[in-house]
Amino acid sequence: MTETTPESTLLSRTGELFFRPGKTILTFFEHLGRYMSTIGWMIYNFRNAKEYSGNIIQQMVMIGNNSIPIVLFVSMFVGMVTAVQSSYQLYAWIPRSVVGALVTKSVLLELTPLLTALVLAGKVGATITAELGTMRVTEQIDALEALAFDPISFLITPRVLAGVLMFPILVVFGDLVAILGGMFGASAIAGIPVEAFVDGMKSSFETWDAIFGIIKATVFGFIITSVSCYQGFQVQGGSEGVGKATMNTVVLACLSVVVMDFILASVLL
Amino acid sequence: MIQLTNIWKKFGEKQVHNGVNLEVRDNETLVIIGRSGGGKSVLLKMIIGLIKPDSGSIMVDGKEVASLTYKQLQRLRFKFGFLFQGAALFDSMTVGQNIELALRRHTDYKDADITERVKFALRLVKLENVEHLMPSNISGGMKKRVGLARAIALTPKYMLYDEPTTGLDVETADGINLLINELKTTLGVTSIVVTHDIHSAFVVGDRFAIFENGQFIMTGTKDDIRNSPNPEVRKYIESDIQT
Ligand SMILES: Nc1ncnc2c1ncn2[C@@H]1O[C@H](COP(=O)(O)OP(=O)(O)OP(=O)(O)O)[C@@H](O)[C@H]1O
Ligand SMILES: [Mg+2]
Repeated sequence: MTETTPESTLLSRTGELFFRPGKTILTFFEHLGRYMSTIGWMIYNFRNAKEYSGNIIQQMVMIGNNSIPIVLFVSMFVGMVTAVQSSYQLYAWIPRSVVGALVTKSVLLELTPLLTALVLAGKVGATITAELGTMRVTEQIDALEALAFDPISFLITPRVLAGVLMFPILVVFGDLVAILGGMFGASAIAGIPVEAFVDGMKSSFETWDAIFGIIKATVFGFIITSVSCYQGFQVQGGSEGVGKATMNTVVLACLSVVVMDFILASVLL
Repeated sequence: MIQLTNIWKKFGEKQVHNGVNLEVRDNETLVIIGRSGGGKSVLLKMIIGLIKPDSGSIMVDGKEVASLTYKQLQRLRFKFGFLFQGAALFDSMTVGQNIELALRRHTDYKDADITERVKFALRLVKLENVEHLMPSNISGGMKKRVGLARAIALTPKYMLYDEPTTGLDVETADGINLLINELKTTLGVTSIVVTHDIHSAFVVGDRFAIFENGQFIMTGTKDDIRNSPNPEVRKYIESDIQT
């Protein structure tokens, strides 16, 4: 049951942002507070493994396995584009093997983790929010609670755990495919011999680069799944509310990911 | 016994409950009648602690719900079976899994016992061999029955029915009403039934409470309601005559 009050029109919403910044900031911190307390509850109840263990495998398949095709597809093209563009940007007198080094570095450090996260913010984030939001508006979450289940442990914990476990694995696969894609792009389009590419790759490879990318993937996995779960849980107002929350999730998850990307780079590199 | 005293609740700017008082006696079926959007569902949810009132007291079997620890609240919820307005079946699970979910978690029954218990609950609601069906593939009336079976699987002491007959045809609705009466006699449950269908109300209810503008404006027996001069109450009786 939704009523269209003047407050809910887009115009006054936008107006609110300018004329009542106090209220907007308050709402933001209210959500942040509730998000944090949801996370806190999840961590506090982590020892009750029987509450969530039954759903983990299913979620790992949903979040992990089902995302493999799109992650590999995106990664391959990212690798190819990086190879083609960096060879285009290099002066003729720079050795061609540098392309191998550039592709490897940028793929491991930045491109695969970030683009995987942005793609999955859409795919995984939207799926989770729509699913949990529907459960919220059809009272399925209330029903779980009424049956003396803890809905946070039962629904949120397995999704967040699956995200934290599967995102790094997806990124490792993505890294490999992106480098292969780079190799292919370099040799097929830019005419750089595979041996030169591999030389550059070897000379520049540092284990830490790969680890940094994996750490990022873990953090992104946590952010995307936890934000989308929170969004799903707080849906109000029927299927319209589910749609709105789903869109908000994708926006919010993408923003959080790029901000966190910057923070992690500043702190860890 | 369930006792609500002076419950106030507001959502945003909207005051939904203005000092609600209500007493539900053991073994009776109390029917709450009121208009759509009045706050009846919220009231039921407050009783098992799904929503917290802003102020006021809710006592179940002598214990104040608001002061319970999380563990105690979980234990309190075992005593309740809740039939939600839209049945609220878990749509990623089969009918059987819906019913056995709580049994698997909260009891140490063996698999065979659980299967037996699921069959028993389904038989009580007059269903058979539907365990493997998905909620999206069954009718509205059947969903309510499965929701009912899920609610009684742990043999509750109290049943909360949120509009058990709304949206069903008369025949199916009558079937559900008979079930409510049957569960009362076979399981000896104390029930609260929320409805805006006065006909169903008179079929299942021992006592009736009329909810208007965030308060109970009247509670009493069928005759008390029928003979009430209060125009707000008469409105509901007259609607019975029309149907
Ligand atoms: N979680 C919530 N957040 C905000 N408002 C809510 C929430 N739950 C209920 N409300 C509001 O409280 C009011 C009462 O809702 P409730 O669902 O209890 O009504 P109802 O009497 O059960 O009506 P119906 O017959 O339509 O089911 C409604 O206006 C609803 O919008
Ligand atoms: Mg309702």
